[in-house]
Amino acid sequence: MNTPEMMTPKNRAQQTMAHNMTLVGHHELDGFGGMGEGIAMQKTDDGRRILWMAHESAPKNFTGVDVTDPKSPRVIVQTELPHMKVRSNSLDVVGNLMVVANQTKEVNMKPAGFNVYDISIPEQPKLISHFDCSGPYSRGVHAVWFVDGKTVHIASGAPDFQPHNAKDDQIYRIIDISNPAMPVETGRWWYPGTRVGDTTPPPPRLPEQFDTGFRAHNTNVFPQHPNRAYVGYIDGGAIVLDISKPSDIKMVSHWNHSPPFNGFTHTVLPLFERGLWVVSDECVQDDGKDWPKLVWMVDARSDANPVPISTFPAPPYDAFAKRGGRFGAHNLHENLPLPVSFQSETLIIGTFFNAGVRVYDTSNPYQVEEVAYFVPGTPRLAPAGAVQLNDVFVDDRKLVYTMDRFGGGLYILEMNL
Amino acid sequence: MKRDPLAGKIPVSLITGFLGSGKTTLITRLLRHPDMNRVAVVINEIGEIGIDNDLVKMSSENVSLLANGCLCCSVRTDLQETLRELFGERRAGQIPDFDRVIIETTGLADPAPVIQTLASDTMLGAHYRLDGVITLVDAANALTQLAEFPEPEHQIALADRIFLTKCDLSTEPAMAELTTAIALINPRADIRRCSQGEIDPSDLIGIGLTSARAGNDTLHFLGELKSRSVDDTPPAYLGQRLPARHDPAVKTLSLRFDAPFTWATFSAAMELVISLRGKDLLRVKGIVNVEGNPVVVQGVGHVFHPPLPLDRWPSADTGSRVVFITRNIDEASLRSLFQAVSLMQA
Repeated sequence: MNTPEMMTPKNRAQQTMAHNMTLVGHHELDGFGGMGEGIAMQKTDDGRRILWMAHESAPKNFTGVDVTDPKSPRVIVQTELPHMKVRSNSLDVVGNLMVVANQTKEVNMKPAGFNVYDISIPEQPKLISHFDCSGPYSRGVHAVWFVDGKTVHIASGAPDFQPHNAKDDQIYRIIDISNPAMPVETGRWWYPGTRVGDTTPPPPRLPEQFDTGFRAHNTNVFPQHPNRAYVGYIDGGAIVLDISKPSDIKMVSHWNHSPPFNGFTHTVLPLFERGLWVVSDECVQDDGKDWPKLVWMVDARSDANPVPISTFPAPPYDAFAKRGGRFGAHNLHENLPLPVSFQSETLIIGTFFNAGVRVYDTSNPYQVEEVAYFVPGTPRLAPAGAVQLNDVFVDDRKLVYTMDRFGGGLYILEMNL
Repeated sequence: MKRDPLAGKIPVSLITGFLGSGKTTLITRLLRHPDMNRVAVVINEIGEIGIDNDLVKMSSENVSLLANGCLCCSVRTDLQETLRELFGERRAGQIPDFDRVIIETTGLADPAPVIQTLASDTMLGAHYRLDGVITLVDAANALTQLAEFPEPEHQIALADRIFLTKCDLSTEPAMAELTTAIALINPRADIRRCSQGEIDPSDLIGIGLTSARAGNDTLHFLGELKSRSVDDTPPAYLGQRLPARHDPAVKTLSLRFDAPFTWATFSAAMELVISLRGKDLLRVKGIVNVEGNPVVVQGVGHVFHPPLPLDRWPSADTGSRVVFITRNIDEASLRSLFQAVSLMQA
């Protein structure tokens, strides 16, 4: 349906936009298509490919979709949360083991931590253990990173961690699940000065409208450099930690664009062969109020002096900022060191909420080029009035799986690249 | 998964037709068709179309949106520039997104340069692909026009699909004659009828190759899904009795080669044909066995689209089949040229 306003870019949210990407399949996930930022693939013992996704909010916990044939994705399991004040948001899969976060709406609630499941029979996930992070200052786990089959790196509260500011409640914690039935914490790190009792003074905060806290978001550790954790520390910027001794973690690199920018560093993705980091922000306010939220290219050859060398060309502000919901950077495909994951040092794929999923060629890190995008038309009954693509995963077949934050569910795309 | 170089490109259909063939009537109706959402139509003489009442809003000087979602774009400087601007404005979100482009050419224009533009302009070639050439033929006057002007013959020769227009002003026997005359020039074109410019947008699309992944679409593109096979000779007898058309200069030659080529041999042979008879080569289309692998080739005049390797053979037939639409070139000399190059390369 077209109206006179259609010529105004912001009123074109219902239009699907595509450049070098083709929709292969779409699934609304049985009416519960509001998805978080956890998306992972399992190759089952009988050769099927199951895509696991964490929901953005209650009542659903996680959904497994058989994507062996990407043209006809099929829900094989969808699970419930115990109550409406908890969400999963994040998950990861290695082999037949899946780790799913639990984050509560308020402190001092349960379950706040993460669950470990045996998904050997994907239709019947079996709970092996729960790692409890609940406490008087904790909302539990917001994000998990689990790629080696034995260690879970989390952005989480802890029962014994009291922040000066309630917004600083998520710290970086390392949990050993070598014995999946008995998760054990082996290390933790927090931004100096954020904990009650720290000798360092608390860090200066961003202006109130952009103050989203000094807390961990993505806590990535790769086998190429197992002694380093690449952490997006929200208003604390991009941080690299030396985790060779989990009981004595040290910061080795720190880069923060804010101020003057508007905070919320989300992901630090190292490109090991090139000495670069790709750093993404997260947009957290509607209608472009916290614009610009960008993806940055950082020259990281020197631990001590990371230097930003470019930003990825952002989707056009005029076309998207006012079309509904959030507009700006968020999750990246993180080159998961797993056989089912696409890995590239040059092609970077990210989600940008109402500006869809976008693909960048970073061959020239000083002049990154946008080479493909797909912006689904507004999903049915979308509260934001536009799609809000939240997270993305690319498999070893080079198929792109991306999901909407509210209602649109799963979109499977082919890159024509 | 192997990259499909065609999948991301915006298909372009070209509508040609000699003066009076009904292009303006057709475009006027097409623009208002409900299925034209997400189609950009590039028009030469927008004043003639009379769409002012249907315009939703002007977005820029030369792009307008119609109530059905169709974008109407007038050519300002030249077509290349217009197509570049359309792509740039789409990419920047300044105009509504569109999935395909339909270009109206002027009645006197040779459509070949437009097609060549898509192949030779690097930027356009990266983002657009030719879907097909649709030629309108005036059923009442075409035989006379063919005898008097060179353009109609050229437009028919380049067509993938032909619509006979003004059929109500012609007779069945006259249309049968015309159909035969068309088949003599271009036996592979799909001939349909259209009255009063009534056309469904789906008749103008999906003509060309949409994917490098072989399938029925590939065979359709190669003209091998119709009952007529490559080696059949075109129907002849009626055409020879046509007034003033005793020996049509433009002919379709279908060549088949059973031995595989190396790419060097095939391209050397093509280059030789182009250098000797480039201006008489109107269109080339086919599938070539390059050391066992299927490669689709397409050219208009002396300009060739980049060769397209397919992921597999679309059928059990792994011979090279190439169709040449030529002017005053006979099959024997074309074949001997290929043989000579093959011998030299060997």
